[in-house]
Amino acid sequence: MIFAFANQKGGVGKTTTAVTLADGLARLKRRTLLVDLDPQGHVALSFGLEKSPGLYRLICLDEPLSAVVQTVRPNLDVVPGDKQTEKVKRQITLADFRETILSDLLATAEYEAVLLDMAPSLDVLHINGLIAADWVIIPTRLDALAVDGVNEILTTMAEISRNGHHYRGYSILPTFFDRTTRETLLQFEEITRVFGSSVWPPVPQDTRVRETVAYGQTLWEYSPDSSSVAGFTEGHQYLGGYRQVLGKLLEVLDG
Amino acid sequence: MAESKKERRSTLDPAVADLLKGMQHKQAELQLPRHEREKLARERAKIQSRRDQRVTYDLPPSIREGIRLLAEELRLPASQLATLALARFLREYQNGQIDLGVYKQPSRSPRYDWNLVFPEEWINPSKRKKAG
Repeated sequence: MIFAFANQKGGVGKTTTAVTLADGLARLKRRTLLVDLDPQGHVALSFGLEKSPGLYRLICLDEPLSAVVQTVRPNLDVVPGDKQTEKVKRQITLADFRETILSDLLATAEYEAVLLDMAPSLDVLHINGLIAADWVIIPTRLDALAVDGVNEILTTMAEISRNGHHYRGYSILPTFFDRTTRETLLQFEEITRVFGSSVWPPVPQDTRVRETVAYGQTLWEYSPDSSSVAGFTEGHQYLGGYRQVLGKLLEVLDG
Repeated sequence: MAESKKERRSTLDPAVADLLKGMQHKQAELQLPRHEREKLARERAKIQSRRDQRVTYDLPPSIREGIRLLAEELRLPASQLATLALARFLREYQNGQIDLGVYKQPSRSPRYDWNLVFPEEWINPSKRKKAG
């Protein structure tokens, strides 16, 4: 099953979410592939690796998937990216059946879950990712601009659906969630009113996330007890956090 | 016939609904006059300070009721009577004055090795009276 992490707004936590959930799935012994569709190449850095042109080799040089993946953790392979991903966009633009190139390449990939970390843009590679996806996860900060990005993605998905693609669903994942501010509450009320059960438990704002990237480790490795993983404490229970989000992802994955 | 009150079913994820409810509650609290906010904060602090003292055990209703009635009769807090009973039990058990073996029976639960089976008249005194 293919999950795309998309929001045209940058800085909403797409890469952190994709990396954390990919490693979370792999730790549960689910064979997982994470594909970096962003020319910034931050997926590789998140695992403590150098950026490299994996996506470029896959799409422009026609190398097989097995040759370009890097095994970064047990059960977890990555197709890294770097600035050469920009060339991929140019090549795709000139190709026939250009919207389904990624989908076709991933069709035979032998993984239980494929996660696509999308760039904050609306170019041909972004469309390729959305067409390849069975389920779209839309991380968003709870501010008006980011929530507008959610609407933009959903509009694009609706257009793709009209052209015959079938999505199994989508989820909205509030990130950088600060439950003490009134603005967060207002935006949270609004998205839950509009999107109901498509809103997944939010990920708390947590400085540990930034440290994690600096050490080239995932959150499960660096700070598994931090609030971004464990969630908010409310009495004796935990609410939100990547642990609960991983549970939601597994519900989708296992049908 | 009176119509039963219909409740709208929440379509939200339970964690999302709980979080939203908590935030709305806090926001509503912020709208209260200062003295009421302070009162609520004091109550919350009191509840939190007592958290370590709170515990939930399953008790036979007859024992719970017995403690309640005695507490009422002596005009004491029931918690203090329960504390007295447990403290005396622990001391007497440690001094070897109580033999649990009399009550012990093997448990079929994967969690415990043993169950304590008490005399019927402790658990259900009224039944014994009727039988007698």
